[in-house]
This record gives sequence, structure tokens and C-alpha cells, in this order.
Amino acid sequence: MVFSMRADFQTSWLPPISRVWLPVILIVLVAIAGHSLVLNTGDYDLELSLWLGLVFGVLLQRSRFCFYCVTRDYFERQDARGLLGIVAALAVGTVGYHLVFGAFIPDVGSGRLPPGAHIGPVSWVLVAGACSFGVGMALSGACVSAVLYRIGEGMVTAPLVIVGLLLGFGLGFLSWNTLYLRAMQEAPVVWLPHYLGYGGALALQLALLAGVALYLSFRHRRVNADNVTGAWWQQRWQTWAGGLLIGMLGTVTYLRLAPLGVTAELGSVARTGTQILGLLPQRLEGLDTLRGCATVIKEALWSNNGLFIGGLIVGSWAAAWLAGDIVIRKPALGESVRAVAGGVLMGWGGMVALGCTVGTLLSGIMASALSGWVFAVFCLLGLYLGWRLRQRYSW
Amino acid sequence: MNLFKSIAALAALLASSLASASDFLVSTEWLAKNLKNKDIRILEVSVNPGVYERGHIPGAVNLSWHTDLVDPVKRDIVSREHLEDLLQKAGVNKDSTIVLYGDTNNWFAAWGAWVFDIYQIDNVKLLDGGRNKWEAEKRDLSPVARKVSRGNIRLNDANPNLRARLSDVVAVAEQRSEADLIDIRSPDEYQGKVFAPAGIQELSIRAGHVPGAVNVPWGQAVAADGTFKSPEELRKIYAAFGVDGDKPVITYCRIGERSSHTWFALKKLLGYDVRNYDGSWTEYGNAVGVPVVNLAGTVWGGK
Repeated sequence: MVFSMRADFQTSWLPPISRVWLPVILIVLVAIAGHSLVLNTGDYDLELSLWLGLVFGVLLQRSRFCFYCVTRDYFERQDARGLLGIVAALAVGTVGYHLVFGAFIPDVGSGRLPPGAHIGPVSWVLVAGACSFGVGMALSGACVSAVLYRIGEGMVTAPLVIVGLLLGFGLGFLSWNTLYLRAMQEAPVVWLPHYLGYGGALALQLALLAGVALYLSFRHRRVNADNVTGAWWQQRWQTWAGGLLIGMLGTVTYLRLAPLGVTAELGSVARTGTQILGLLPQRLEGLDTLRGCATVIKEALWSNNGLFIGGLIVGSWAAAWLAGDIVIRKPALGESVRAVAGGVLMGWGGMVALGCTVGTLLSGIMASALSGWVFAVFCLLGLYLGWRLRQRYSW
Repeated sequence: MNLFKSIAALAALLASSLASASDFLVSTEWLAKNLKNKDIRILEVSVNPGVYERGHIPGAVNLSWHTDLVDPVKRDIVSREHLEDLLQKAGVNKDSTIVLYGDTNNWFAAWGAWVFDIYQIDNVKLLDGGRNKWEAEKRDLSPVARKVSRGNIRLNDANPNLRARLSDVVAVAEQRSEADLIDIRSPDEYQGKVFAPAGIQELSIRAGHVPGAVNVPWGQAVAADGTFKSPEELRKIYAAFGVDGDKPVITYCRIGERSSHTWFALKKLLGYDVRNYDGSWTEYGNAVGVPVVNLAGTVWGGK
């Protein structure tokens, strides 16, 4: 049984009312919610998080910015457009971040790290976490941000992935102390500008990204363009366009609030739940001193990251409804099992790596952190392994 | 001896009435008008990360209290060499007027003022009301930290007379020396009901307060908007607890930074002879063999 909105492609300039009414209502509701948050708590950051999340959700959905999907496209069909979009996001974001760094910390030799930037320790734990995350992505068919935005598109296995994520985070907390004392406490936190200055780090990163882009363009095989018929409000955006905008959004979000990240709230829910069940260790050594998608025991209902991912889901839903991208169908049993298993692997990996493809890969590389690059490489490796496994066993 | 004491008290009273509040405090209005004044150096000492970077008073330089104003390895205040280097990098000159401010009610800015006092830096003032008041009045904030040219300030060696040590406080507790002890923590901490406020990691093995200490929570010294009350009001408030400047005063809290706030009020605004006990309860409550008053009877590990 399938519910699908995909109708005949229309060519009229304005979308019909049937497509517009829900997005309009959603945006009005978000405005009301944001305003009442400010009235109740006086915290403008909460309202800002909600709106920035909404924009992020729209960008992700419209440009199909799903790390797993675009990588799989490249593996299967040498279609590199999606990956190039990610490279575009990284390039624009890196430039933006360094412009902000110059305002926050003009003296890069001072030894300080920029506040809140996701610059994490580099150790074998990061490698293991990234690999685990990559395999998990391949099994469940989406990373954390993709799961969230595809909720807006009607992805029915999304709740299962989230259940897996929470379980995986719990496992992460249980294994944390051992991993921290064995490896992470002494692991170096490498911020490239410390060694190369802002100009040097920027040049190096842009050169690496340009190299990757050239390689991908060389290997890219043209495919028949899909989804280019239809009106402007139906067409998918080019991934490179989405990438540019996401790079800009990442800069603005860091300037105003914190780096882009989607696992802080889920992790905090898991941390609180693990504590309620009495399973959380008395102390998670050093966790709160490290930079990344920080988890806390929840004391307040509303948090910046909670509202950010809430806005993400609503924004994606609005965009999907407008374009007719919502497809709901009953999942197969195997698909459901994969969703949970993949979620668990992503949850554990995301917890020990202190973030996911958004929090550690995107926000890390944009901030010139070595941890971002290490995560990217090993996540890709894990993704490839997971993809091959699925092919081999027809999962 | 009595005559000497009376003359000293009279002199102190005279001095305190002459020392106007504006010698040690600046208002937000004054600072807003003097942002471009080249003789002023504005320093922010805030505890929440990212607060300075995302918006600070234009021209302010950041001091990180937990790495810049303390020794991060052994428990002590920052060394003279390190502080001198830091202040020179912040562009502070010999004749500069330093204005300190920060978040959380200027607690950490007051700590900064106390540390500066130990190194006998002159012309240090606190922004009355701190960051909170500046933000509440919707004044300009800037996210841009400009590089400043190096200043030429030189520091003297630390003056140990402004710091109370454990031995000094134990002497007062055992009534071998005379001083007014002020415990500026919350009543629950003072009475020993709790070891520390909720969520704090730095606890002590024993709860309670130093024998002879009075409990005047730090908030009593400020009005609702965070500005200090007038010297006359402050004098009345503390006199009600028996602190009227006739004896030396020692302030303490849990780690010594909130007590710097009260130290500032009593030393600078009222002119009393005040020392800050920076070891505070995390040192005293963990020290072996010192006398403690524990009204609530809370015992580590349960009754």
C-alpha cells in the first residue's frame, strides 16, 4: 500500500492551493511557537534555533543532501553530482568559518581554540566511531540528518532508526570511560590554523577540496537528467546549489549560536534515559570538556538543538509537501531490521566521535579540525564496506 | 592601645567617606561615552564560553579566568610574569585605566579586580552592573576582536597582605587573632545542609562554615539590576551583622571568586581592611583538623 503525492508534472508558475496550504500553516505555526518561546523563556536563541533548523531542513530536502544517497549514487553509477555538492558546502563553509575566526580570535597564536567549534581529539576511537557510523549509514539507508529530513518526506523506517540511535548512544555512554581513559584523554586536538595560520589552513583545505572535486569531476559519468521537468517548486535543486547555501548557513549558525549539528539533542535524550534507568556511569570522564555535539542530562524541555532538529523536520515536511515528494509505504521486515541495526551502529559511532556527518564531518572540516577529515575518510570507508555488504547479501 | 584604635577607626572612617564610588566603579552610561578614549582598556572576564566572542563591549579584550587569571596546574593565582605578559598583549599601559566587566553578575570580573589588586595595579575599575546591565540597556555589542599593539605595563611582586591563607582563617576560628569572617554563600551551604550548589563538581569532605563567620550572601550587596548599593546602604547592611570596619575582614565562599565580589564592595566602596580567602570552603572544608560549625549535621556519606 503506497501513498504518494507524485502527480502529473505541472508547468503553471504558481503552485496549486493543495500544495501550498500546509507549508503556509506550518510556517505560521513555527512563527507562533518561536514567539511564545521568547515570551515564556526570554531566550531569543531558542527562537533563532527553530528558524535556522527550518531553513536547514528545507535546504536538505530540496537538494537531496543525503550523505548516504549521494555516495551510493557515485558507487553505483559514477554520478558525482551529490558528492560535489558536499564538497561545495565544505568549501564555502570553510571560508565562512575562517572569516568568523578572524573576528573571534584575531591572534591565532594565542593557543586558544575558537569557542564551541567542533575540533575534537584524534585517536583510534574516532576512527572506529567513523567506521561504525559509515556502516550504520549504509545499513539504515540514511545518516542522522537524512533520517530527520526524510521524516518530512514520509520515511516510515525513520522512527526505527531513531530507536536504534538512542540505543547506540546508550552503548556509547557505557563504553565511554574505558575509551576515554585508554585513548582519548591523551589524544591530540589538532586545529590546523595553530600550525599554518588562518591563511595557510584555508589554502590547504581549499586545495584538498579542489583536488577531490577535480577527481570526482573526472570520474563523473553523465546520467539522464531526472526530475528536471516540472515547475520550479517541484524540481529538485542542484546539489551544488544546496551545498553552497548549506555552507553559508553553517557560517551564520556558528556566528550566532553554535556549529551545525543534529545529534546533541538525541544524545541528551539518550543520556537522560540511560541515567533514569540507572545504567549511566556516575561520571563520564572528560566528556563535558571535549568539543562536539555536547550531550547533557536534560533539565529543561526546550533546548537549542532540540528546536533546531524540530525546525528541520518541519521545514523538510513543508518543502516536501510543496513539491509533492512525500511517499509513504509499508516497510519490509528486512528493511526494518536494517533500520534498527544501522541506527545502533550510527548511535555508538556518533557518540564516541562526538558528532555525525554534520556535527563532526561538516562542522569539523569547516572549522579546520583534523578530526573532521579523519572522520570523513573513515566514514566513507565504512560506508563503502556497508554498501558492499548489502550488495553481496542483497539486503 | 584603645586611643590608637580610636584614631585608626576615625582615620578609616574619614578615608572611606572621601573615597568616592566613582574611583572604583564606572557606570554603563559613562563607559558608552568613553569607548574611544585611548587611556581606557576594557577587559572582559566571563565564565560562559563563547559569550565574549559572539558579542562584547566594543574594544574589550578577553581574559579567560580559568586559564589566564589562575595557575592551571597548581592551585594559585596567576604568576606575575604571566599576568604582565597577558596585560601587555591586551594593550594595557602604565597609565591606562582598566575597566573590568563580565557575565554572571561580574563575579569573575571582581576576581580579576582582586588579582590585579594583589599585583598593585592602579586605576582598576569595575563596570557597575556588568554585562547583564549593558545588555539589558540594549547597548552595542561587537563580535570583532581587534588586535591591539603591545602595552608597557609592569607589575610589582604580589602583595601577600591582601590574601588570607588557611593559617590566617584557622587562627581566627581558634580565636587566636581577631577578624570579621564573612561567608557569602547561600544559607543552605552556610548551615551545612548541602556541600555545594546543585550540579557543582568541586565538593568538600565536610559541610558547614568557619566558626565565627557570619552569613551575608553576596546578593545583599547589589540592587536588582546588578549595580552595587550605595556606600551608606552597604555600611548599614554589614553593620547589622557586626561588620563595621573596626576589625580586619576576611571574605570567603566556595572557590573564592564570588567572595571577590563582596571583597570589592567592602574594600573599595567602604574602605575597610579586607582580605579575600581564595582557598575558601573547597580548601577549609577539606582540610584536616580545622574547627567547623555544622548546624545541619550533614555528614559525608550519610547520617
